[in-house]
This record gives sequence, C-alpha cells and structure tokens, in this order.
Amino acid sequence: MEIKVLAFAGSPRRGGNSETLLDWVISAMEQEGGVAIEKVALTEANVNPCRGCNACEKLNKCVQRDGMDYLHDRIIDADCIILSAPIYCMGICAQAKALIDRFQVFRSRKYVLKLPIVPPERKGTRMGVFLSTAGQKWDHVFDGAVPSVKCFFHVVDIPDRDIRYLMVNGVDEKGAILSHPTAERDAGQLGRDVVGELRKRRGE
Amino acid sequence: MPVRVIGLSGSPHRHGNTERLLDAFLAGAEEGGGDVEKVVLKDLSYTPCRGCNACHKTGECIVRDDAIPLFDRILSSDCLAVASPIYSMGITAELKGLIDRAQFLWARKFILKTMYFSDDHVRRHKGIFISTAGLSWDNVFDAAFPAVTAFFNTLGFEYYDNIIANNMDQYGGIQGHPTALAEARKKGLSVVGVIRKLKGDS
Repeated sequence: MEIKVLAFAGSPRRGGNSETLLDWVISAMEQEGGVAIEKVALTEANVNPCRGCNACEKLNKCVQRDGMDYLHDRIIDADCIILSAPIYCMGICAQAKALIDRFQVFRSRKYVLKLPIVPPERKGTRMGVFLSTAGQKWDHVFDGAVPSVKCFFHVVDIPDRDIRYLMVNGVDEKGAILSHPTAERDAGQLGRDVVGELRKRRGE
Repeated sequence: MPVRVIGLSGSPHRHGNTERLLDAFLAGAEEGGGDVEKVVLKDLSYTPCRGCNACHKTGECIVRDDAIPLFDRILSSDCLAVASPIYSMGITAELKGLIDRAQFLWARKFILKTMYFSDDHVRRHKGIFISTAGLSWDNVFDAAFPAVTAFFNTLGFEYYDNIIANNMDQYGGIQGHPTALAEARKKGLSVVGVIRKLKGDS
C-alpha cells in the first residue's frame, strides 16, 4: 500500500526558503517509491483562522465552511503530515498559525468528546515533520514556534516521539537556502529516513 | 499632556476572558486619567504579511488596508496593551497576522535606518501583554512571549509587564479567577501614573 504524505507549504512566499526545504524532502521521499504526496500551499488553501466559538466541542465539526472541508479527511488519512513554515517576528507565520488553530476540531474530538482521531490499528503508525527557516541566526529563533507545532501534531495522534524537525536559521532573502552548506543534504536524508521508518512501522 | 493608551484585542471571540481582562486594564487606565482606545482586531480588515520583502527597500508596505492606519495610531500612543488568548500554545492567528505586518517598521528601523527610538523614548512608552489560557500549565504563555517581545521592540515600546491568567478552564472563566480582573485594573491605573511622571520628567 502506498504511503500517503500530506505536505503543507505554510509560507505566503511561494518558492521561498521554507518551501524549498519542503520540496527537497518531498523529492527524496518520491525517489524512495511507493509514496503518494499531496502538497498544499496554504496561500491558496483558503484556511481561515479559528473563531474560538468552541462549537466543535459539541458538534465534533467546525462551523466554518472553507478549505478545511477539503483537508479534514486528508489529514486523517495521511501517514505523514509535513508542515513547512518560515519564522516571522520570532513566531510561526500567521498563515500557518491559522491552520494550527483550526486543528481545534481534532483537539475537541480527542480531549473533550474522547473520540478516536484515527482507527486503533493506525495509532502509532503516523509521523509528523516540521520544516522551518528563519532569517535571524539566533539559536532560539524557533523556540516560539515549536510548542504550537507540537499541539498541531499531538491533536491528530502524532506524539512527540514521532515528530521530526529540520529548522534552518540565517536564511532570509529568497533563494538563500540554496547556498546553505548542509540544508539540502539534511532534507534529503530526513525524507528517506521518514519513509524508511513509516515502512518499518507497517511491517514492510 | 494626555497619556494615550491603546488596547488591541486579538481574540476572535468577543467579550471572552482575554477581552474582559483587557477591558479591566483599560478601565483602570481611564480611571488614572488616560486617553483610552480599544481596537478589536477581528472587526478590522487586514491580511497577514505576504513576505514579499518590498518594504526592505522602501520602508512602506505594499498592502494598503486597515493595518497601516492602525500602526500610525499605535506609534502615537504612550502605552500599548496587546491582548490575545493562547490557542495551541501561541497567540491567535489574528494577532500574529498584525504582528507580522509590522515588518515595514522593522525594515525602517533595522535595514533602512530611517526610524530610530532613543532609550528615553522607549522608557516612556510601555508595552503590556494581556493573555489568558485554558490550560493550567505554567509554561503555557512561553511561546507567545518571543513574538510579543519582537513587536514591542520594533514599535519602540518597553516590554513593561504581563497581565496573564492561566487555568481558565478550571476557574470557569476570568470572573472565577480570584485576582486577575482586579490586578488588571490596578496595573492600568498604575501604568498611566508611571508614564505621566516620565513624560513630566523629560
């Protein structure tokens, strides 16, 4: 069975550094074969911010009708979810934060309504990947983003141990990542490792 | 000279815990004689930053929407209160959207060097972060601080204080919290006095 990967390009800038990082990971995964990848650019996905109405705590679905309707089943079906997003002002860009906050429907399902996110046999088989870039060189530049990213994955049954990270600082202008000494190699390795791990978990 | 206080409500949910905490702060500021304005971000029309970096060359944002006049009002205020609930361990997408739009001011300050705040200016301009969270974890606000810090830095405000209350789920809302609303009011009253004194001194 094909491994399903759902990959979000969270940056408003198409073809920029964080999306390039994503493309490297995706292309390494594809080369492994048997992998079906759907890439979603958030700028074109029509995902509005969460309204904080908490209706999902009762309805088990979101009251907003937008791009999340299309994404909902794909998020559940994916064996691997990848989120790529740049750091703006010491946090994840607003477009990616909107997607993260819209996962509230899964949080309500899991923690309030105590319903399953994925069927029991798929628990522990899924993985998450967070890819990020930042213009600043500070080591702590990703610290504000990571806790939200963990929430994003936790609520869809991808615990800490199943999240992989590749975060590259000091890349600002479009294309800067192309001259980074290790980013492309690390991205390729990450893509291959994740596919290998997913296969292992399926007993393949 | 009046002390101008602007409060940004970053919650999509009207009159919820965070906005009520902001209201208490602003009521205290008004009591202290401040000129108080509240802006509800969800009622404004602005888009998040596009990351085009055009402002790095011009110092202007190419997106003309409600964010631009709001930044003018913020920059003419003495006290900036930024309020957002914690969603998924961070500030709301609405507030992050506005913070990211301050990039053109960041560019003026750090790239073009056409905007400069003296230490004295920063000392006289106070930034306050107001937040609530449902979870009881002590670290629930930690991931919000860096973006708020960056926002105050860019805009020339000293990050003066936090008015934060966690464990809202347990308290059944801010009205169930033993001290938060009274503390917010007191801090509003006091910061106006502090700023007035600093303005008088300069």
